[in-house]
This record gives sequence, structure tokens and C-alpha cells, in this order.
Amino acid sequence: MLSVGFRALFRREILRFVRRPKNTFMPPAITNVLYFAVFGVILGGRIDEIAGYPYILFIVPGLVVLGAISNAFENASFSIFHGRWNEYIHETLTSPLSYVEMVVAYVGASAVRGLVVGVIIAAVGRAFVPIGIEHGLFLVATMIVITALFAGLGIIGGLVARDFDDLTVMNQFILRPLVFFGAVFYSLETFEQPWQISLSLLNPMVYMVDSVRFGLLGHSDLIGVGILPGPYADFAPLVSLGVLTTGTLLVMAVDVYLFKIGYGLTD
Amino acid sequence: MPPAIETVDLVKEYGDLRALQELSLTVEKGEFFGLLGPNGAGKTTFINTLVGLVRKSGGEARVFGHDVEDDYQQARDAIGLAPQEFNVDRFFPIKEVLTHKAGYHGIPASEAAERADDVLKRVGIYDKRDERFDWLSGGMKRRLLLARALVTEPDLLILDEPTAGVDVQLRHDLWELVTELNEEGTTILLTTHYIEEAERLCDRVAIMNEGRKVTVATPDELKQRGTDTIAVHLASAPAAPPDLGPYAHETTVSGDRLEVRVDDGGATAPRLLNDLEAMGHEIDDLEITRTSLEEIFVDLTRSEDRTVTRSSAESAGDDAPPADGKREGEREQEGVA
Repeated sequence: MLSVGFRALFRREILRFVRRPKNTFMPPAITNVLYFAVFGVILGGRIDEIAGYPYILFIVPGLVVLGAISNAFENASFSIFHGRWNEYIHETLTSPLSYVEMVVAYVGASAVRGLVVGVIIAAVGRAFVPIGIEHGLFLVATMIVITALFAGLGIIGGLVARDFDDLTVMNQFILRPLVFFGAVFYSLETFEQPWQISLSLLNPMVYMVDSVRFGLLGHSDLIGVGILPGPYADFAPLVSLGVLTTGTLLVMAVDVYLFKIGYGLTD
Repeated sequence: MPPAIETVDLVKEYGDLRALQELSLTVEKGEFFGLLGPNGAGKTTFINTLVGLVRKSGGEARVFGHDVEDDYQQARDAIGLAPQEFNVDRFFPIKEVLTHKAGYHGIPASEAAERADDVLKRVGIYDKRDERFDWLSGGMKRRLLLARALVTEPDLLILDEPTAGVDVQLRHDLWELVTELNEEGTTILLTTHYIEEAERLCDRVAIMNEGRKVTVATPDELKQRGTDTIAVHLASAPAAPPDLGPYAHETTVSGDRLEVRVDDGGATAPRLLNDLEAMGHEIDDLEITRTSLEEIFVDLTRSEDRTVTRSSAESAGDDAPPADGKREGEREQEGVA
């Protein structure tokens, strides 16, 4: 897997965003300063604790997830689509890299960007409120899985898109609403009606935000609302991570298949 | 030793359009092979099938014995492609573009950097190594495409209209370079609109039309398929065209000038002179015009019956492929759009 060719493509993909921090790292840093200042300090000061945590601390995991997966998606979709648009993706396609190597390199590099953005957002949050890490290994595993998942989805987006507007639509009109309704700014335990919880549980973002919140704060809404029956209730975060991992592998398998059949890549 | 390229009944369909129609072609290792044909003949489709940018609809295609789909990694590793389009990574300086490409082919970073320097020097744009592609002139961009194809030291170099729209100096530089590479053992597949280019460089050429192979031959063999014209200036104008026998396909008289169309002008001229003298004509001057490869090309790609005649070639002159480069501007425009 770690062939010279794979490393060359992975390095190229990393350098592409590392050398453009104004386009890749500055925007999420500034946006999240605003989020923390407005939602956390100004509005959050008027909100009671949620699930036993100050509001500004409660929203940190959700904002980390929002930034990380958005950037992972955006990086992969842009890289693929821009390469298609200008046809320089031919440099990769005409090389002896295997389709698996191509996909893992694109996904891996985009996931790295998502992870770096996640760390930046956590660092910004740290400037506003002390943040601890309750379950470090679980947190790292979750972040890797969800950024890889959205990088994999970004590849599909980049292959399907017909123009740049399509990428904007995917990010702004699908991804963000799902994240905002994914319990970033509220706890599922605040819902009074069971249907509200049931509806929320259909949103896959809920599981991602909850897993990161469990890793950072040690709190899981999924345990709180009892998504798993009695004796297994505490395993909810682990089950979430398992399902997310499976989903990520499936999405990457779809990516490899699309590369193999040349969807959006070959005539 | 398997051939460098071998296709058997290769087919590519785009809906109802058949871009490649049962194309069977073999290019031997070490050959300098030309692919000629008008726009839309299927030349680029053929090339892209070999490198994996087009998926074939049927038939077989192998590069050095490796199937282009089943053994795509081995097949692609053997090929260096300089395409028509400027499909170069815009994010990086051109030297890095080359090191990345070499890296994808498994060449370690330090060696890739050395190779990038070498090929940039070889194509004459080393001093632009830190520039990005968009800042290069048209000619330099064309040179970079060649450098990118060479950086992996391919066994098969594919050049898709490498001299389209370039100035005379660059054209000659490229010719010199690819000749050198071929002499060093690299198999070369060249597509071109310039007949002179094919005639000058290629061991063999295939003429394609509408996705089909029309013929494969050496440039000399092709030229022999055409007819020559012997123009004779007589001391006095004949009253009627002389009856010269079956070797003369067509005889026309215009004042004291007699034009006779024959298969082989050089071999037939003495007999024609003898016959005319025997008929009592006095000959002042004689001139033989050979059929150009360009005329044969036009004829082969236009005639339904594949019969080569000078008259049909002349009538097709307006649609002839651009041997003088005048249509390059149009092609460039299409590329930009």
C-alpha cells in the first residue's frame, strides 16, 4: 500500500492544501472564533448548562465535527473535480497506481486536512474555555473515521459534479443542514417528545457529533436517551463508531469501484 | 518479444457513434510509427484507450503484451504520453509537476528530482523550472508536455500532434529529439496532421478514417501507390492527343504541352519519349511530378473505392489536412473552447 507511487500522490495532495493556508486553514479558524464568541460567549452566557456542561463547552465537539468533515469533503471533492475540470487528473489516471492506491491517497490526504482543521477548531475553543479529553483513543479513532468517511463522500461528489455550483450545493445545502440538526448546538435530552428524538436519530450526523462529544467530554446523548436496551446502553458510542467505520469502508469501496469503471473520469 | 502495441478488433462506441471500428493494428518494439487521419478519425480515441482515459467497448488492446484493462498498471507504466491538450497540474511549479509524475511511476523522490532537471534541460526549459504552467508560453507548454512524457523514461512514447501550432524552430527541435529517442530504442507512436512530419520521421504509417484503419505502409510504399504526371513540351502543338497505349491512364493536351498520367513516372518516361518520337513529335522539355504523400492521404481518406488518382486528390484540395499550418489557429480555438 505504501508504494512510492502512493506516497507521491499522497504528498502531492497534502502539499496542495498546506501551501494555501489562506484558503484552507484560515477560514475555519476565523469562522470558529465567531461561533465561539457569538454562540458561546454572548448567547451562551444566557443559556443554562446543558447535560451538566457550560454551553460554550458543550458546543465544542459539534463545531469540531462540522469543521473537520466539511473540510474533508470540500478537499476531496475539489481536488477531484478541479482535476477533472482541467484534465490534470489524467496525470494520475495514466500512471501505474492501482485504483485502491489512488482512492486511499485522495481520501487519506483529505482526511488529514479535516483532522488538522478539527485540531485548529479545538485550539480556538481552548482559547475560550478549558477543554479536556476524556477518551483520547476513542476520540482519535472517531475523528479519523468521520473525516475519512466525508473525504470518501467528497470523492463521489467530485466525480458526480458537473460544475463548481454542484459542489457548493452539496456542501451548503446538504452537509451543513444535517450537521446543524445533528445535535451540535443542543442535546437530544432536551427534547420532550419521543418523535423528536426518533427523527434526530435518523440523522447520521447525530452519531458523529455524539461520538466526538463522548471522546472529548465523556458525555453521550445516545447513552442518555437509551438508544440501546438497558444493559447495553453504555456501548452506544462504540456501536456508533463501529457503524461509522463500516460506512466509511463501504464508501471507500464505492470510490474504488467508480475509479475502476472510470465514472466521471474516462470516456 | 511482444509488440509494443497490439490491438485486435478494437471498438469504441459513444452511443450510436462508433469512434473505433474493429481496429487491428500492430506497432513493433523500437518502431517509429505514425498515425495519420483527418479530425475525428479516431486517432486520439485510440491513444486514450491505450493509456486508460477511454474504456474500450470491445476487442483487445495490449501494450508490450499487457492488456490495457486487466494489466493496466504494467501497461500504463510503459507509456509516456504527450497529449494534445494542456492537461497539466496548475498548482505546482513545473519541476514539481514532473517529480510528482515520476513519483506516481514509482521513481523515488531524489531520482525523480534529477530526472526532472534532466528532461527540462533536454527540452530547453530548465530555466523555467520554478514557474507554474500557466506562466509558460505556448511553445514552452508544448515542450513541458514532452518533458512530462519523458520523465518516466517510457518504453513507448506517444505523441499526440506534438507540433500542432508550434513554430518552425520548435518543430525541428522536437523532430531532432524524438529521432534521438527512437535511435536510443524508444518505440514512438506519433499522430500528426503534417504529412511532411510523418514522411520525415516514421518507419511506417497507418492511415485512419472514421475509426477504421485504411492502410498501413511505409511512406515510400504509400507514395508508390499514387500516379505520377509526365509533362512534355513539344516543338509544335499536336492536332489531337496522341494514342499512347495502356500505360497512359490519361492524356491531355494544352497547346504545345502534353500531360500524361502514369503509374511510375521515372520508369515510364523513356518509353513515352520513344513513342512520341516514333509518332514524329519533337520534344523540347520533360518534367515529372510525383504524387505527394499528402495527395495520397487525402485520396485514401476521401475515396470510397480507395483508388488513388491525382484528379480526385486535386478536387479534394480544399479539404486537405493542414500541411501549411494555416488551420492551426482554428484547432487551437477549438481546444480553448
